[in-house]
Amino acid sequence: MLTVALPKGALLTESIRLLKSVGLDFSGFLVSANRQLEILDAGGTAKALLVRAQDVPVYVAYGQAQLGIVGYDVLREKKPPVAHLADLQFGRCRLSVAVQASSSYRSALELPPHSRVASKFVGCAREYFHRLDLPVEIVPLSGSVELGPLTGMSEAIVDLVSTGRTLQENGLVELEVLFESTARLIAHPLSYRLNPDGLNHWIEQLRVATPAVL
Amino acid sequence: MTTYQPPTGARDLLPLDVAQKCWIEQRLQHVFHRWSYHRIITPTLERLDTLMAGGAIQPETVIQLRDAEEGLLGLRPELTASIARAAVTRMAGATYPQRLYYNANIFRRQPAGDSSQQEFFQAGVELLGGAGLLADAEVLLLLTECLNNLGLEGWHLILGEAELTRSLLSPFPPALRETVRHSIAHLDQVGLQDLDLDPALQERALFLFDLRGQPRDVLQRVSCLDLDPAQQAVVNNLKSLVELLEENLSLTLDLSLIQTIDYYTGIVFEVIGVGESEKRILGRGGRYDQLLGLYHPQAQMTPGIGFSLNIEDLFQALLPTNQLPSHIPPSDWLVVSESPQAYGAAVAHAQQLRTHSTPEEFVQVELDLGGRSPEQIRTYAQHRQIAQIAWVGPSGSVQVEQVST
Repeated sequence: MLTVALPKGALLTESIRLLKSVGLDFSGFLVSANRQLEILDAGGTAKALLVRAQDVPVYVAYGQAQLGIVGYDVLREKKPPVAHLADLQFGRCRLSVAVQASSSYRSALELPPHSRVASKFVGCAREYFHRLDLPVEIVPLSGSVELGPLTGMSEAIVDLVSTGRTLQENGLVELEVLFESTARLIAHPLSYRLNPDGLNHWIEQLRVATPAVL
Repeated sequence: MTTYQPPTGARDLLPLDVAQKCWIEQRLQHVFHRWSYHRIITPTLERLDTLMAGGAIQPETVIQLRDAEEGLLGLRPELTASIARAAVTRMAGATYPQRLYYNANIFRRQPAGDSSQQEFFQAGVELLGGAGLLADAEVLLLLTECLNNLGLEGWHLILGEAELTRSLLSPFPPALRETVRHSIAHLDQVGLQDLDLDPALQERALFLFDLRGQPRDVLQRVSCLDLDPAQQAVVNNLKSLVELLEENLSLTLDLSLIQTIDYYTGIVFEVIGVGESEKRILGRGGRYDQLLGLYHPQAQMTPGIGFSLNIEDLFQALLPTNQLPSHIPPSDWLVVSESPQAYGAAVAHAQQLRTHSTPEEFVQVELDLGGRSPEQIRTYAQHRQIAQIAWVGPSGSVQVEQVST
């Protein structure tokens, strides 16, 4: 049976709306009383798994889900061996370097060498500063990264920015954009090549539906 | 207190694990022998430059050792490099084709923090000095028979053509060609769409990305491209190969099945085990007509083609079929001395029973080591599923007792 891994959080509503537009109804996940992690669509043709965004490509890479929807930021950070099939256009945000508005830094290159940078995106941050040839210490965090500079633990952060409000409310300013991110349709490579359960048909449907749903 | 553990990613194979592994390996070896392949054993440890000469191996994936005199050495991550080296340097003057098989352990260094396996077992073949359609067909049919001989159902072959795909990529501007190839090899369609290509090339890239499916259908689609005579010849060859194979196996032709380096020079393939919950790669292979030349002192080219099967993945795929041995083979006989005076007679009787072994079937005889009551001995025999006990008396008398199960 076709299994789709869906990310908890910001991308879930749009993901479910997109799937619904091609006839796969997983809106049960949106009911606030829902505690189920695995549901069948009403037609009984497909199954969805509700997992943390970082785990979507894991289930897809191991083939327990043939399809998944996840932000490009996660793919860029984890580099999982999955097929990247479509830019679904929603969930637009960017991974940025930010510092305290009160600081004197106006570009990433002005950060002093060996300063600390807090981030959930350790790999992306390391790669970015490596490319700048600026040695920094990356401090891995799993949330509320904005506190890094506020508490003085780090000079800068690398974090996702969508509207910029969280940064603003915490007195931070964006210096650089590492990359833009949107939701992506991913697939298990072997399943994509072998096309079981009409997988490619669903992929095509989702692709066609993408601009329409937006 | 210190506890001694194997290093992360290393594992012990206990007797039952070994019995199951041998069950698989023997069935593969029988096929190799029937197809007239001969076993080659190459060193576990090779010079790092030997392992990397083909260009397909990244040094960080090799477990390396530094030797004061030899320099950098590595534990082999695959066998083809070693066999290519051995064939051109040690078998000079040998007549071709050479049909070689191996059954060996390989090692892969896992990135820091990854605790997955480091040592694996592979069985495979290399057909050296054989070019052309029949050599390709032989290797794929041999692979098919290997899997059939294991009683494995639900497997699928994905077949590509590295040379054809490479030449179909030649119209792309050199600066972008590698990126296009990388995106196709890694199934990154979004990456292809984001490339700054003119519309005709963009369309071509997406067309190449989608060249997979039923072989006849794919061959027809690729024939719609404006093929040069060389490409046409490869397509015709593929067509003939597909015709030779079709009846024997379930096949997907996938021209996006390529690597990012020019290691393979003809057909490439992967065997996929299609289980209920998981699809896994059971083995892979392809044609490498440039590789042997890299190891030859005068760079003399010899064509080659081969495949390797992953024993661990075959094991996982075979588990649900309930064919693998579920216990180690029990002894046929337990020979017991009734008293210390009977030791000599018991040893002699056990040895006499062992001589009934044939090359196909062993008679397994174990000697009771003393210190147990007859009751304890019977319980032990029952527990170990030993069929018969031979009670040997000092005079050499033998009483046979069938053990009730």
